[in-house]
Amino acid sequence: MAVLRGKAWVFGDNIDTDLIYHGKYLPITDPEEMAKHAMEYVPGMENFAKEVKPGDFVVAGRNFGSGSSREHAVLCLKYLKVAGVIAESISRIYYRNAVNNGFMILECPDVTKKVKTGDELEVEPETGRIKNLTTGEEFYAHPVSGLEKEIMEKGGLIEYIKAQMGR
Amino acid sequence: MGKTIIEKIISEKLGRDVKAGERVWVPLDLVVIRDFAGPNAVLQFDEVTGGNGKVFDPDKIAITFDYQAPAKVEKVANNQRICRKFAERQGIKHLFDVNTGVGQHTILEAGLVTPGSAIIGTDSHMNLLGAVESFSTGVGTTDIVAGFILGKLWFRVPNSIKIMFNGKLEYPVTPKDLTLFYVKEMGGDGANYLSVEFSGEVIDSLNLAGRLTLASMVTETSGKIGLMVPNDDVKAFLKEKTGQDFDGIEPDPDAKYLEIREYDVSDLEPLISCPHTPENVKKVREVKRVKIDEVFIGSCTNGRYEDFKAAYDYLMKVGKEFHPKVRVIFTPSTREVALRLLEEGIAKAFVEAGGIVTNPGCSLCTIGHHGVLAKDDVLLSTSNRNFQGKLGKGSYVYLCSPLTAIASAITGEITDPRDLL
Repeated sequence: MAVLRGKAWVFGDNIDTDLIYHGKYLPITDPEEMAKHAMEYVPGMENFAKEVKPGDFVVAGRNFGSGSSREHAVLCLKYLKVAGVIAESISRIYYRNAVNNGFMILECPDVTKKVKTGDELEVEPETGRIKNLTTGEEFYAHPVSGLEKEIMEKGGLIEYIKAQMGR
Repeated sequence: MGKTIIEKIISEKLGRDVKAGERVWVPLDLVVIRDFAGPNAVLQFDEVTGGNGKVFDPDKIAITFDYQAPAKVEKVANNQRICRKFAERQGIKHLFDVNTGVGQHTILEAGLVTPGSAIIGTDSHMNLLGAVESFSTGVGTTDIVAGFILGKLWFRVPNSIKIMFNGKLEYPVTPKDLTLFYVKEMGGDGANYLSVEFSGEVIDSLNLAGRLTLASMVTETSGKIGLMVPNDDVKAFLKEKTGQDFDGIEPDPDAKYLEIREYDVSDLEPLISCPHTPENVKKVREVKRVKIDEVFIGSCTNGRYEDFKAAYDYLMKVGKEFHPKVRVIFTPSTREVALRLLEEGIAKAFVEAGGIVTNPGCSLCTIGHHGVLAKDDVLLSTSNRNFQGKLGKGSYVYLCSPLTAIASAITGEITDPRDLL
């Protein structure tokens, strides 16, 4: 069972798609280019894309990813090699786009009360188990299940469809 | 066990009974791309299919240009060209170019949307088509690529909630105020993953334009779709556009809802959503006196003819001239709406009052085109989102009805439309 380890970057409630990936960058089609603008409009987080390390986690409050259908908002984090998003709630289109890209998302009540920016986390996506290695506290998120889980295990929707067609 | 509307729609599409919570692959009636995210989907489709793939059915694909129409920067011009070439190559005839307007409204007027249809598109406000009882929903580019290839897409059949609005909206309270009331009651994630069924006396008497306004902002509560059983106004519109008669899909009396809410909205006052989240809704009279720099009337939420007509009638009644320090921008949702505003002298009156009437499109709903804001600028908008920095870093956006927008455009500060009557 995969266990991920990384540092947490904690954000507040209602981190919408314009904060994650601003509308003025929508014409971009290259995901490597998208990655440079991740979280640029979150006040105080302008340097996130430069400072985040591969394997780090985005931790957020309720309604993460609300707003636009832009898949850029998932791709910019994925291509920065962020390990995934753990939020108190995740808006539905963002949830779909993450599943379709095999990008880890977990919904976890009160996570922003249990984790501070800079804390080291150990995360087991399959069970939802999260351990804050900095504080020692262990708690559980709702793991992705059903078809969404199968799609994520294949690495995303396109890979899932290819596997289905190849049968 | 009875079925909700969404359970009926999906059961009908699959030819078997489905229940909320099931994962299903739903056959699609239409896959829609825009000039934003559309080119990304085309490039991804070509990559996945090795450059010579064929879409499942070219007649079930539509391409709309509304994000930046006509293109202002070369990158977007190239993106639109990618979509046009794709249409040529694939034999896609439903291409609505930069002269047509907001995608969802354009396909609705083109008769491509019917009750019970399943539609996906690269626009988070696709679900406004729930106003004609279509299961339409916004998706990202990977979903579109899957739709192009398979002609179907995975969904979790959503649970439903039922919201009944009874009473009567008292002028100058509008469907937009009702919509903001709904957003406030639900909160930004209150309808997450859910189908919302609207009913009650107010909904029964709401015309198509008002229903589109309400359905559009289900997105701002993270809802998958907001559905209303068509009334006579909607049926007449569908008959005109499609040539067909539709009965509408009624939920079963014993359908299972996660929640049923009932409101009497007769006492509703003009409402306004304050920076920087749509759910931050207050009474207009509580935020009076805030100075404004710009006003926007339009968008997929308030860009119908009826919205402009109501704005015009109110303007004629109370003022006729806008405040000299306020930039007042009107954007019809579609070419059809634009033509009517021109024919009836409504566009002329707006220009005479000091306003600017633009070509149809998404206009100030994104930073893609004109009307961008400076730091500290305050915009009063009839649109659906007021996210921080969305239209310019350090700016402030308030959301309101067309009548509150006009009243405020006249005085230069946020004004309750009742105050000028």
